[in-house]
Amino acid sequence: MQNVTLIITEKPEAAKRIALALDFDGAPKNKTEKGITYYLIKREVPIIVVPALGHLYTVTNQKKEKYNYPVFNFNWAPRDIVERKTYRIRYCIDIISKLSKKAEIFIDACDYDIEGSIIGYTILKYACKNKEEIAHRMKYSTLAKEEIIRAYNEVSPHLDFSIIEAGLTRHEVDWLYGINLSRALTIIAKKHSNHYTTLSTGRVQGPTLNFLETREINRKIFVPTPYWQIKAKVKIGKALFEAEYKKGIIKKNRVLKNIITNCAGKNCVIERIEKAKRHLTSPFPFYLGSLQREAYKLFKITPAQTAKIAQRLYLEALISYPRTSSQKLPVSIGYRTIIKKLQKNPEYEKLTAELLSKRFLKPNEGPKNDSAHPAIFPTGNTTDRSLKITEKKTLDLIIKRFLAVFSDDAIIQETAISISINNNLFAIKGTRTAEKGWTRFYQPYFKFKNNVLPTVINNQKVRLIKLIPEKKFTRPPFRFNPSSLLKKMEKENIGTKATRSGIVQTLEKRKYICGEKIIVSELGFEVSEILREYCPSIVSIDLTRKLEERMEKIKEGKEKREKVIKDTIELLMKTTKILKTKEKIIGARLNNAVKKTLNNRIEVGYCSSCKNGKLVILRSKKTGKRFVGCTNYFEGVCKTAYPLPQKGVIKPNVQSCKSCGCPTIKVSIRGKRIWNLCLDPKCSSKFKGKKNEMQIV
Amino acid sequence: MKCKLCKREKTEKELCLFHKRAYEKIVEVYAEWVDALNINWEDYLSEIEKNSLTGKWAKEVIEFVKESRVNL
Repeated sequence: MQNVTLIITEKPEAAKRIALALDFDGAPKNKTEKGITYYLIKREVPIIVVPALGHLYTVTNQKKEKYNYPVFNFNWAPRDIVERKTYRIRYCIDIISKLSKKAEIFIDACDYDIEGSIIGYTILKYACKNKEEIAHRMKYSTLAKEEIIRAYNEVSPHLDFSIIEAGLTRHEVDWLYGINLSRALTIIAKKHSNHYTTLSTGRVQGPTLNFLETREINRKIFVPTPYWQIKAKVKIGKALFEAEYKKGIIKKNRVLKNIITNCAGKNCVIERIEKAKRHLTSPFPFYLGSLQREAYKLFKITPAQTAKIAQRLYLEALISYPRTSSQKLPVSIGYRTIIKKLQKNPEYEKLTAELLSKRFLKPNEGPKNDSAHPAIFPTGNTTDRSLKITEKKTLDLIIKRFLAVFSDDAIIQETAISISINNNLFAIKGTRTAEKGWTRFYQPYFKFKNNVLPTVINNQKVRLIKLIPEKKFTRPPFRFNPSSLLKKMEKENIGTKATRSGIVQTLEKRKYICGEKIIVSELGFEVSEILREYCPSIVSIDLTRKLEERMEKIKEGKEKREKVIKDTIELLMKTTKILKTKEKIIGARLNNAVKKTLNNRIEVGYCSSCKNGKLVILRSKKTGKRFVGCTNYFEGVCKTAYPLPQKGVIKPNVQSCKSCGCPTIKVSIRGKRIWNLCLDPKCSSKFKGKKNEMQIV
Repeated sequence: MKCKLCKREKTEKELCLFHKRAYEKIVEVYAEWVDALNINWEDYLSEIEKNSLTGKWAKEVIEFVKESRVNL
């Protein structure tokens, strides 16, 4: 074959889409070798489209020392020799290498962002043997046919080396931080306890854990302060209303008493009626962060799940590239074409017709910009596959947000009636939607409660039914949830849009945090404390923020990658030196924290037989099966043991069984309903109604 | 030396850094309670001890202060 063009994509689904779009007949030939499918395309010149499987190469330690730190020598190597169970990566590299020998033209068609650029660059450099200098770059934001053909015709003559430089720096710096600090913690803990536990931290993990810990501390030392609110229950016409004290909260009890004394038995007169119109401007289009937050708020889909769902929708050409930080929708995406495509779906027929009747379509764009991609928008395409519920919900949210962006402001009519009781002012507030505007396009996701007030006039007398004083207390700061944590990370500019949700998952995996409303474990506390004590610069937001700035400078060609790496190594040298000298103290602290955290996880409750032992989840050394046993067994006092289901995740319940008082557990098996289970197999609850189900107190 | 309330290293006097911060918070908020309710120290401690919004470490410090009857 002569003049063969090799197109490299990031994922198999993208390769399929590109092949379908570029083939003249729309039916490319496919070949599968070792489970990797690539496509042969008929066009002016023969084209082969071959997929990668995400990152095929990664940064690794030059010398294969596993139990030593610090480590500063690194190189890029195939992932299959660094990570376990990645044999498909080897097959993929072999196939790309083989195909590259036949090719003369190389096109990097990986996603157009930092990660995509690194994937393409490393494949071209290592698998295709230094073809990065001659390779072209395809840039697209959706996998829709027209967009792919456009991207192919307007292929960029070379790779974006500035983005690649910044990306390589990020990977190498993150590797240096991760490997050195994580290894230090793990090795120190192991040396002290002789027990292996993976402990990790990094450039983003450290500061994230630090502000989770700070929030937890503020909650644990919180002391509430009393304050009062006072409401006047009044009758206007036949309806009752609660008017709030206009000056807001009252901090002193004697002031409250004075107000009550002043108002008792006094006339109640309407002093002023204020009306105002408030414009609610249409929302901005979604970028990844705002989509993740909205999906969590509305559907309780975690940010990590939302990112995965959005990626799947993108690979099916249903939405544009989701890993964007832009709030802009350029005209070039073709507003009308997309809306017309959406009109074919009966669900959006009416709404789209309304927008299409407008002479001009202008989106309400936000301030955020991303040079690589526009905001997330639907392509208007459909899929033959039946979408999962979460996918359907996310797609509907994206479509409705896209439509709302082009709509007019909503107008809210606000009314405030001020009532004077012996010169103490109270107010009733009412709201009514005057113009629904964009909110009609964003249903059922925008909820607004109308509170219509009766018609009243100035100096009208109303009847005071009673005064309602309420004692309240200030509340501790809220715990972060995955969505608010993501918002905080975004605000502090730590991590990237693509990596933030993964960081939260890693913290969970390491058992530093747990729960939907995030609680920092004893281990999380200790790791964060140790880092703050011995290497404060690592957990400081300033360090990672400055590094992001330097990365931007690399992109602009104002900073050298080598200098950033050199500075990182210098900082890590100092830090690891300190850690080495304090190994004994740190080891003892980590060991205690690991023990406490692990114990917390496996304790199920108190033993009802011996009354003072604790029931814990254990594994049989003989069979490897898990069961619940009493801690007094080891003292030779109690032999209580209960069997456990061998599949699924087990979490202890706080409540005990209503029938027998035995501790209960929650069992969750993937794809099945979560059920509560009493530990006692002979419990009477198990013989009533459904098998193995019980009522908890 | 260990903190009287947990196994952490103590900083000064009897408590670790966290419990010391909890104690400082209790003292700081007392002024606001006096302003709001004109309350004495013992009653204030009882009030915040039974309040479900009071943090775990703050409660541990209250118990310790009440039991040992010391001013830290």
